[in-house]
Amino acid sequence: MAQEKSMAVSEFLSNAELLKQGAEARVYRTKFLGKPTILKERFPKRYRHPVLDEKLTHRRTVQEVRSILRCRKAGISTPVVYFVDYTTHCIFLEEIVGSLTVRDHIASAQQPGSCADAELEQLAKRIGQILAKMHDEDVIHGDLTTSNMLLRRRPENKESDLVLIDFGLSYNSALPEDKGVDLYVLEKAFLSTHPNTESLFEKLLKSYAASSKRSAAVIKKLDEVRLRGRKRSMVG
Amino acid sequence: MDFTRELELFPDHKVTQLLFKDVKNSRELRQCAVEGKISGALINPTMLVNPFQVLVAANKAVHSQKSGKMKTRSLYSEIIFNLSPTNNISEAFKRFGISDGDDSVMVVLVYDRNESPSLSNIVAKVDGQQVPVGDLSSLSNLTKIKQLYKVTPQEEKCGTLLDAVVCRMASKDVV
Repeated sequence: MAQEKSMAVSEFLSNAELLKQGAEARVYRTKFLGKPTILKERFPKRYRHPVLDEKLTHRRTVQEVRSILRCRKAGISTPVVYFVDYTTHCIFLEEIVGSLTVRDHIASAQQPGSCADAELEQLAKRIGQILAKMHDEDVIHGDLTTSNMLLRRRPENKESDLVLIDFGLSYNSALPEDKGVDLYVLEKAFLSTHPNTESLFEKLLKSYAASSKRSAAVIKKLDEVRLRGRKRSMVG
Repeated sequence: MDFTRELELFPDHKVTQLLFKDVKNSRELRQCAVEGKISGALINPTMLVNPFQVLVAANKAVHSQKSGKMKTRSLYSEIIFNLSPTNNISEAFKRFGISDGDDSVMVVLVYDRNESPSLSNIVAKVDGQQVPVGDLSSLSNLTKIKQLYKVTPQEEKCGTLLDAVVCRMASKDVV
């Protein structure tokens, strides 16, 4: 029976459009129950022991779904989960149609002559607020980059929605250390993808600090992490 | 009137939804379903936001059946169970199945693509008025839905009620 089912899914995948392949998963674009859908398939890693592989993959799939739900409950926009197949480790997610990554948005706003500085500052502030909200829910994203944030144009709204995606490395933690590292990862990614944005990122952090009640400890940790890097020293 | 869709993941399967209002024999219908005289899921439409919600439940039910992981005894009871945000089976039937006094019903059929189910047979059994499935939202009880799925006002800011409901249905086995 299980054989028959995985046949159904793999046949379905073979007709889907492959968007990206990473180390962890393949991402497809498809239609599911009539809706534009993004399918994330965590494929088996042959270099790992099968039992360990199954366990890790399962845990990550579960964690991704949990974090998405947790964020949504807190009012943070993330893709809707339509269906999860825990046997083939596939997550069927809402496709954010007509969206643009924050990465592309900043890049085009940085083009000479686009003079969108005020608008970018506004965006940085909003990112700060949303990340503060997420950390207040004790969700650590684990892979914050400007490519994992989408801007969705809503016809009814003037301002576009900021949607967080890819909770594949996310987990729950209340520790300022983990939140600090989360921000540190973003800082590294942000400053290396977008040159000369130090002051913009500063605005983001300021707005983060102002939006969260528990931000003081996190920012303090961030300063520590900057000095020593992401990994905690194991000496002593 | 009725709404039929193929399941992309299981192309051999089709799902048909039929909606009725002013139903006078819900007690009799429920009895029929229990005895297996109606091969379909009888759902309380006041707990439904959109036909998509039913499709999500049906797709998951077929998937569970194929992988031998059903939590209930039949495909149709599994659809009702999948609609519920909790893993309590009797609670799911109470909230999402039809009850004796109900005056509306959504009938859901799942069948092989090559079969053509007798819809007229179903229509004949229901003493009520068939209405287009697209009219579903006029029957939904939003207050009760929000209460049962525990949808907060802040969540509705970042998505629709249907989004919130579908997310809970899809993630209930890991929360």
